Amino acid sequence: MIGIYDFCGHYEWTFQWLHEQGGHELVRRYWDEAIHQDSQRHADALITAKGFDGMDEYWGHTLGEEGGEWEVTRGDDVFRIDMHHCPSKGFLIRNGLKSHPDYCDHCLGWIGPLMKKAGFVVNHEHNHCGQCWWEIRRAEDATPASRPGELSGDADVRLHDDWTATGSHLDSYERATDPDDKRPPPSADEPAAGR
Amino acid sequence: MHRRSRPYGVPDSSSPLPYTDTKPVGAADFYAAVNATFRFILGEQGLEGLRRYWLDLGRKYFAPVTRRWSEGGLQAVAEHWRAFFAAEPGAEVEVTRGAAEVVLEVRTCPAIAYLRAHGREIVPCFCQHCHFVSAAMGEGAGIEVRVEGGNGSCTQRFALAGHFVQPQQLEDIATAS
Repeated sequence: MIGIYDFCGHYEWTFQWLHEQGGHELVRRYWDEAIHQDSQRHADALITAKGFDGMDEYWGHTLGEEGGEWEVTRGDDVFRIDMHHCPSKGFLIRNGLKSHPDYCDHCLGWIGPLMKKAGFVVNHEHNHCGQCWWEIRRAEDATPASRPGELSGDADVRLHDDWTATGSHLDSYERATDPDDKRPPPSADEPAAGR
Repeated sequence: MHRRSRPYGVPDSSSPLPYTDTKPVGAADFYAAVNATFRFILGEQGLEGLRRYWLDLGRKYFAPVTRRWSEGGLQAVAEHWRAFFAAEPGAEVEVTRGAAEVVLEVRTCPAIAYLRAHGREIVPCFCQHCHFVSAAMGEGAGIEVRVEGGNGSCTQRFALAGHFVQPQQLEDIATAS
């Protein structure tokens, strides 16, 4: 039987299996069609119907089940997650599992299309070491991403030493709804926004 | 408003399982993702493609299981499945180590139970994955499997290659609903 105790392991392995079958486009379709539209249809229903309250309800349940360490910051116009120890990426790191080039992309792979449909955009960064942050706002809200500490205070993952620990490298998204909307890495003489 | 959560404890390094986590059992919502993955691959590549996925998963991702079974024989098979089902939420499974077979009496399949309880449409061939994945895990260790029943409860028998007289009959595995 394929179990779910090690789900993140065979999930990540499946990304690479699909990539070998049909390339990146098939993996993108898997995240959207199998995860967003099928597996996570309860998240889709909650967030589409209730907006920020639905996000609170969905992630409150699912992150609680998965473990990890994170902080949610709610404002009237923003929903922010600071993920300090991602239970999913943490499982892969602890077990030395890496089949697909960028496991972390799967989150925006299914959440991005959901947010687009529900009328939200995402500012996001992940460091590939189990830390990331998300700021979700309504699509018509042009407010830029917060500066480090501005919104979630000391809980802001960008202020912690492990954000730029050895082995980390940042992927950044600005008002994104697509896993391929990564901003190009900053040049050496250009400070990255929000870091 | 801030809300914070704390992680579970440390991984169990003594586990018979190849990959271990800090949480005692898995998050049951992931059964929906397993079912959705089967449905997606079935739609893309048909039943033969889905079976190839199961076989590749068993041979490659679960290669550490094959190594343990190869070294530890049927005792390792029994230890694996006891630890495995202890970490699957909602599973009711008895694992018996006999002289020639390890028998899994799956009284409540946690995946089928979850999918039904949450109103998910179950891929009809869902239960076949138990045969194909286990057969692939066992082939490099000289272990064979036979599955009978399914759709919520089944019997899975593991033995050294050559023990079973008849090959697996797929019609012995129930259609899931």
